Amino acid sequence: MIGRPRWMGYALLAPALAAVGFLILYPLYLVLALSFRQGKTLNVLRLSELPFGLGNYRTIFASDATWHSVFVTVVYLVGTIAPAFLIGLGAALLLNRAFPGRRWLRSFILLPWAVPGVIVSIVFLWLLDGSFGVVNALLRQAGWLATDLAWFANEDTALASVIVPTVWKAYPFFTLTLLAALQSIPSSLYEAAVVDGATRWQSFRYVTWPGIRASAALAAILNTLWALREFDIIYLTTGGGPDRATETLAVRIYQEAFAFFRMGTASALGVLTMGMAILLVLMSIRIIRREYF
Amino acid sequence: MTRSRPWLLAFAALAMATVVLFPIYWMLLTSVLPSELTRSRSPALLPELSALSFDAFAAALERKPVLLWLGNSAVVTIGATFISVVISTLGGYSLSRFRSRAQQGAGFALLVSKMLPSSLIVIPFFIAFSTFGLIDSRWGLILANAAVGVPFATWLMKGFFDGIPREIELAAMLDGCSGMQAMWYVVLPLAKPGLAACAIYVAIVAWSDFVFARTLVSSPDLWTLTVGMQSFLGEYLVDWSSLMAVGVLSLAPVFVLFLLLEPFLVSGMTQGAVAN
Repeated sequence: MIGRPRWMGYALLAPALAAVGFLILYPLYLVLALSFRQGKTLNVLRLSELPFGLGNYRTIFASDATWHSVFVTVVYLVGTIAPAFLIGLGAALLLNRAFPGRRWLRSFILLPWAVPGVIVSIVFLWLLDGSFGVVNALLRQAGWLATDLAWFANEDTALASVIVPTVWKAYPFFTLTLLAALQSIPSSLYEAAVVDGATRWQSFRYVTWPGIRASAALAAILNTLWALREFDIIYLTTGGGPDRATETLAVRIYQEAFAFFRMGTASALGVLTMGMAILLVLMSIRIIRREYF
Repeated sequence: MTRSRPWLLAFAALAMATVVLFPIYWMLLTSVLPSELTRSRSPALLPELSALSFDAFAAALERKPVLLWLGNSAVVTIGATFISVVISTLGGYSLSRFRSRAQQGAGFALLVSKMLPSSLIVIPFFIAFSTFGLIDSRWGLILANAAVGVPFATWLMKGFFDGIPREIELAAMLDGCSGMQAMWYVVLPLAKPGLAACAIYVAIVAWSDFVFARTLVSSPDLWTLTVGMQSFLGEYLVDWSSLMAVGVLSLAPVFVLFLLLEPFLVSGMTQGAVAN
């Protein structure tokens, strides 16, 4: 561009690069470095004095709790993404039609996306409270529940109970992405489908779905990565309990690091979590390339 | 596509909104009910209006330093938003107007930032802040939140700058503006909606933060509202009315910001931006 030297481009970018270095590169480096060091330190300058080795990895891979956490994480991801996708798709198809009051109803249906995780947690703790929660009250009235079921404290229901608020916070992202994709499908395609005598299902199957498939896949990947990172909801509602029933990797990392101050094993678990994220991204790299770059 | 029955569609959307917003409604309702009504085995879904009161708000403010936490949240949010928006505007402008290797790197950085759980990132932050004396300081919290906002906000700003034709700056520069002047006086005013969207997004993220505030700050005087809310849960008998009242205070600004941001989100998504 006229009159603007290359260095200016880099100068403008420098603060952003510094932020990314602080947010991504430095944590990646330190987590890797910590995962190979034995012992405890909170001084980054002293880290190199600790003995180097694979001990942390041996510890986590030998522990049943780690594999249990991997299992819980996978159940949590699948249990969240599948219903969130269906609800999100339904809402997007609905909001793509023209009707009075759409602007406001769209905002309200998307609102859970913006609700902070802490508020999501306290609200669902209250809704699902054993004695005074409104959900139990309604179930008792309907005759479906005889006892005061403490959803978050019961080993059999805890995982489902943390999945429900996660779905509630996750579906609007699907709605948002799919709505944008739906709006980019030319209406002439639907008119042509009608002329050709297509049924409703056929026009969804052959016009709508091909138009939103790529966005749906990308949104599913991003939402899965989000759920893999999700910490607030589980930590505040169950803390990973009861008896580790809801201890996903993200929660376990935090407990190792800040309940037991075992930064080394926490970091090794972090590397394992990133490994899962990388695996997921590699499996879907073609979709990501098409949409991201 | 059939265009019939718009009222039926509106009714369906209203029904869906009612179901998904029920948790928020229940929080609002609990916050304005006296505690003897909230401790009911069969609560009324639509209580009598005469029973409503703001006592729970008063009780919450009296029992806990809620206003102090609210102020801390505001300071951290405003600081992080300001820093993040400045960095992202400069960076987004550079990515949009200057050809460099960073352009390919930016998408990759955004992707990697989506692979690191905050409960993991907080470990290096905690260690770095311990080493350099930033634990238990507002500045540390502001820096952490600002950094988290940068990757997506920069991507968002790049998208907005891409939508502003280069010819406008070229014309300004031919008229004698310097490169920086062209950006400041010509491009930035046109990018105002982008700046607003960016600021609102970062503000919502910073306001919602729990894990940084919980970990990087220890004195209750510096707690933000999210950590303050957690302290209600630790009590033997949780005072749900007061907790819901604090929740309402915490959600209100997010609600307003979200209503302002939402139109940008839908149009931003169409351009391929990803906010999750």
